Amino acid sequence: MTYHNLLFVLAAFFAVWAVMARKLLTSAIMLALVSVTVSLIFFDFGAPWAGVFELSVCAGLITVLFIGGVSLIRTEEEKRPEGRARFYALPLALAAFAIAAWFYLPPFFEELAGAKVLVSGGGTIGAALWGLRRPDLLGQVLMLAAGVFVIKSVFPRRTEK
Amino acid sequence: MDKGLLAYLLIPLLSAVIIPFAARRRALLADILANVTLLAGLANIAWLALRPSVIQGGFADIPGDGFSLLLVGAVYLVALCVTFFSAWFMPEGQPNRAAYYSLLLVSVSAMTGVVTSTDFFTLYVFIEVLAVTSFALITTDESAGGIEGALKYFFLTFPASALIIVGVAVMLLSLGSLSFESLRIAMSAEAPAAAVTFSAALILLGFLIKSGVVPFHTWTPDAYQGAYAPVSAHLAGIVTKISGVYAIIKLATLLRFFDGRAQALSEMLMFLGMLSIAVGALAALRQTDFKRMLAFSSISQVGYIVLAAGLGTPLAVMGAVFHLINHATFKTVLFLNSASVEKATGTTDMDKLGGLEHSMPWTSWTSVVALLSTAGVPPLSGFWSKLLIILALWEAGLRGYAVMALLFSIVTLAYFMMMQKKVFFGKKGQAAESSAEVSAPLLAPAVLMCGIIVALGLLFPYFYTYVKVVAERIIL
Amino acid sequence: MNLILIPIVLPLAAAAALLLLCERTKYIKELLAIGASLVSLLAAGNIFLQPPDVFSLRWLSGAITFTLHADNLSAFLLLAVSLFSAAISLYSFSLPNKGPSKWFYFNLLMTQAFAAGAALSDNLVAMLFFWEGLLVFLYTFIALSQDNHAARRTAMKAFLINAATDLCLLAGVCITGYIAGTMSMSEISRNKLTLDYGWAIFGYVLLMIGAVSKAGAFPFHTWIPDAATDSSAAFMAFVPAAIDKLLGIYFLARASVYLFTLNGTMQLVLMTLGAVTILVAVMMAFVQKDYKRLLSYHAVSQTGYMILGIGTLNPVGIAGGLFHMINHATYKSCLFMTSGSVERQAGTTDLSKLGGLFRAMPITGICFVIAAAAISGIAPLNGFFSKELVYKGTLDTGYTVFFLAAELGSFLTLASFLKLGHSVFFGDRPEELKEAKEAPFSMLLPMLVLAGICVAFGFGAELPLNWLIVPSLQGMNIPNPTMSGFHPDKLYFASVIVILAAVINHMMGLSYGGGKPSKSSDHIHYAPVLKEAYAMAERRVFDLYEVGMDKVVPFVSRLLFKADRAFDWALDTLPSSAAGFLSGTSRRFHNGSYPLYMALTIAGVVIYILIAGGLK
Repeated sequence: MTYHNLLFVLAAFFAVWAVMARKLLTSAIMLALVSVTVSLIFFDFGAPWAGVFELSVCAGLITVLFIGGVSLIRTEEEKRPEGRARFYALPLALAAFAIAAWFYLPPFFEELAGAKVLVSGGGTIGAALWGLRRPDLLGQVLMLAAGVFVIKSVFPRRTEK
Repeated sequence: MDKGLLAYLLIPLLSAVIIPFAARRRALLADILANVTLLAGLANIAWLALRPSVIQGGFADIPGDGFSLLLVGAVYLVALCVTFFSAWFMPEGQPNRAAYYSLLLVSVSAMTGVVTSTDFFTLYVFIEVLAVTSFALITTDESAGGIEGALKYFFLTFPASALIIVGVAVMLLSLGSLSFESLRIAMSAEAPAAAVTFSAALILLGFLIKSGVVPFHTWTPDAYQGAYAPVSAHLAGIVTKISGVYAIIKLATLLRFFDGRAQALSEMLMFLGMLSIAVGALAALRQTDFKRMLAFSSISQVGYIVLAAGLGTPLAVMGAVFHLINHATFKTVLFLNSASVEKATGTTDMDKLGGLEHSMPWTSWTSVVALLSTAGVPPLSGFWSKLLIILALWEAGLRGYAVMALLFSIVTLAYFMMMQKKVFFGKKGQAAESSAEVSAPLLAPAVLMCGIIVALGLLFPYFYTYVKVVAERIIL
Repeated sequence: MNLILIPIVLPLAAAAALLLLCERTKYIKELLAIGASLVSLLAAGNIFLQPPDVFSLRWLSGAITFTLHADNLSAFLLLAVSLFSAAISLYSFSLPNKGPSKWFYFNLLMTQAFAAGAALSDNLVAMLFFWEGLLVFLYTFIALSQDNHAARRTAMKAFLINAATDLCLLAGVCITGYIAGTMSMSEISRNKLTLDYGWAIFGYVLLMIGAVSKAGAFPFHTWIPDAATDSSAAFMAFVPAAIDKLLGIYFLARASVYLFTLNGTMQLVLMTLGAVTILVAVMMAFVQKDYKRLLSYHAVSQTGYMILGIGTLNPVGIAGGLFHMINHATYKSCLFMTSGSVERQAGTTDLSKLGGLFRAMPITGICFVIAAAAISGIAPLNGFFSKELVYKGTLDTGYTVFFLAAELGSFLTLASFLKLGHSVFFGDRPEELKEAKEAPFSMLLPMLVLAGICVAFGFGAELPLNWLIVPSLQGMNIPNPTMSGFHPDKLYFASVIVILAAVINHMMGLSYGGGKPSKSSDHIHYAPVLKEAYAMAERRVFDLYEVGMDKVVPFVSRLLFKADRAFDWALDTLPSSAAGFLSGTSRRFHNGSYPLYMALTIAGVVIYILIAGGLK
């Protein structure tokens, strides 16, 4: 239970950081970390398929797409520095939301758990990743490499300017 | 995942990782490493497929289904041409030179992954890798057009990713598995579940968007036109074909369109193919930009492949596969030549060009060979693939489609003749005055591809045997 | 070598040899041609007396056999063709206005060879080959006879009219051969075709059109009067007067009697055609003011008698038609020869400028009188007998109206020859013609020979009937008709009445025309209704060819031009403008707008999903 709570907190923390980060790269990495923690939660709840897809799609892909896409329009962004003041209100709003949730959400989740359907499969993270979705790992590696090279390709030019 | 071809994925990836370190001191090493990697891969494939003993044995010894190997060969061939061309095309001291080659090699890896995957989700992952590398490659020279093109590619193909993922989810729900084999078995059953077909249709739709079929073609002209010159050749020649058209052919064979089990899908696919042929050809007629015209031509040619894939008879699938290969050869030549013209004259605007044949005879005549092959003039390779497609349509009783396909083949010839006249023949335009033929290394890929076009046309019987083996293996 | 080849091959060889000779050589060309035609005549005589074996050449591995077969009719026709060739080549020796003599004789010999071939061919295809060959030389004959535009124009007119009808013949031959299953005429005749069904009628009508147009019947005659003014007298004497009549009537007889069994309707058609030809042409002939042109209309008119004779379909009528064919060739050739002589000696053929030449040219005059009397049907010359046979045959059919029409034609014929003879040979001689002399011997000899034949066939009408006509009829499997020579029956008196009427008419005309013989036809020419009709004829309103060339051809060519533009537009402008419109539209559409592109993509996705989900 502590493990779960820790993961929940971590996920929320990374998510907030991703939004608040000033550097794009940091923001992207935090986003990936959110995905990783969420997929860990999936595994722990006995949904390895969901975990694997979360890892593949969100941790790898969306992050890199995000970085690639946003990096292209960064020049525009630099021209018009945004006012960040309102973002500092975000953690406060989140804290308020968390306290409210503490009271109201558990009954809702219990109701959901009542309708749970047992899905076959499962096993350890390793079995799901290595035994079932091994080719996807290769894709993940490629995705990471691509992300790195995209950054290497796009950013030198930006910084030169 | 086809284990036999895994090396073709891993070695470029390795090279891609090594290149930034190796090229830190000497930038030239990046060029050499990339070219050597691809050349070695190509030589290896040639050894696998073109040994005299293999040819004599009717290609029975080809590993896997043969289709993957053929496409890996095409990927390596086009990529080699592009990297070789880039090595001389790219100005000295471009800051992202090493990254450019790394990205090219990663895209080669990803394409190999696409054609060797046996599972929809894996396919999706590799296709997304391919898309990511493509965004970056398009903007290599960070021109305004390049960024515009990349963003259009990004935004307008985004629905494709979403649809594929939704399709995968629905398939996992209804079929319980994502492998090609299970879909094949499900479709072979007497009455496939409607949900399975629907999920396949969603995935198919995603790939239709990725391959730029009308009405999802809108990103293609801008992306091809704006892309860094050699990258347009890479993109048009192979990337969009692998990331979209390949999967369509694969799905077409898996869904067994020809048995009438997915009649509505089959008809829709053929209709979209015909629409692409028509819209692409007609739009190409009036273009004033060399690369943009080639982009529309590409849409039209993809239409032929989709049309044949939608028909799904063995002959049609053979025609589709062959046309895919041919498209890779002739479109690469044309885009590389447009890059040469751009380098020599500084523009691709056809109104400013003209009379380049005297100063650039090689570029001019390789273009002629490629465009004649595109239009399907015998004995070049394009003739055979179009013949197969039209024959298949005729045999299936789709006379109207067959006649239309033939007619638009004439329109193809018309706009290419117009292009050839405006760019190479006719009076010398202002841009042609000071231009000279580009250097031999820049011509070499185009000449090599022209050689392949002619050889494929003349040695068609051998190639036919190969494609027949492929068709038998992937359909039966 | 088979003797049957000589009348064909020898003229061909001589014609080829002529081409090798220089135009400036004197007499050699003429002598060569005369020699060749005389030898052909001898060979033809020999063939006539002793019919040689059938000569056949197999072609297309036996699918078509070129057979030359001299049955009685063919041999008779060959003899006639050769006789006229010999006569004309002799006559032309010193004729001045015949164009380059090399080409004249070349054309003459080629025409002779092809005519002989057409006469001898047993196979329809072979006959067609020779027949169409004649067409070529018809054109060159006229076109080369005078070096001016009119000659070429007339040549083209003759060519086009005959080409059109020859095409009919070609189609007819194809249909006939297809129906009969063979192209051999002798084989078809063993099992004659009947006009029971549409294709057979069509085939026969096409054959008939080919034959009567060759013979120069109405309405295919219009080139003949033009040729009379635009070409030489020798040509007129040879081709329209002799060869064309011979072949046309020969083939008409073959088709109507030998190949097909005709019915009553077709008989009526043929007889009407004959009667109309007689009347129309003779009406035109009567008012002509030119020697050769007047004769040329008679050449058309006389064809009517032959068609009428064959159209009767009874042995007497057919015999009359064939007899009239040979007689007509004889006297009409002779008449054209006299016109050539007069033209040579007097320098003109305009009737108003001629007159009183009998004294200066007595032999020509005598020949003219004999031939004119023969054509007018005055007993006991040959024309009388053949016309009597035609009349008799016509009366036997029971259609008296045709007999009356033929008699009316006869009346006008005589009247016009009275006018012609009076204006050329009698009356006052104009001042310019005081020096005129008789024509040279080489021109007189053929005239005399032909005039002699006229007389001989008249007084001894039994001879040609028994020797030429009856065997010909037997050659066509017709039973021997009962024909007799001169006998004073009702028909004879009818002809006497016609003669008297013609003389009276001439007297009236003379008084009406102020004593000028060349104006002796004016009282009919300018009679109330006829005046307008003649005026229209002068304007060539009735000439199908001219009407076609003036009205139909420009219209059709304009129509075709418009159609061509329309096709051009449909094939050229329409697709390119449609493609241009579509590509322009698509070019405007691809404007690079994100929302538009995205909207299109999303719309496509929605429609696709709806259809893939089963929505129809």
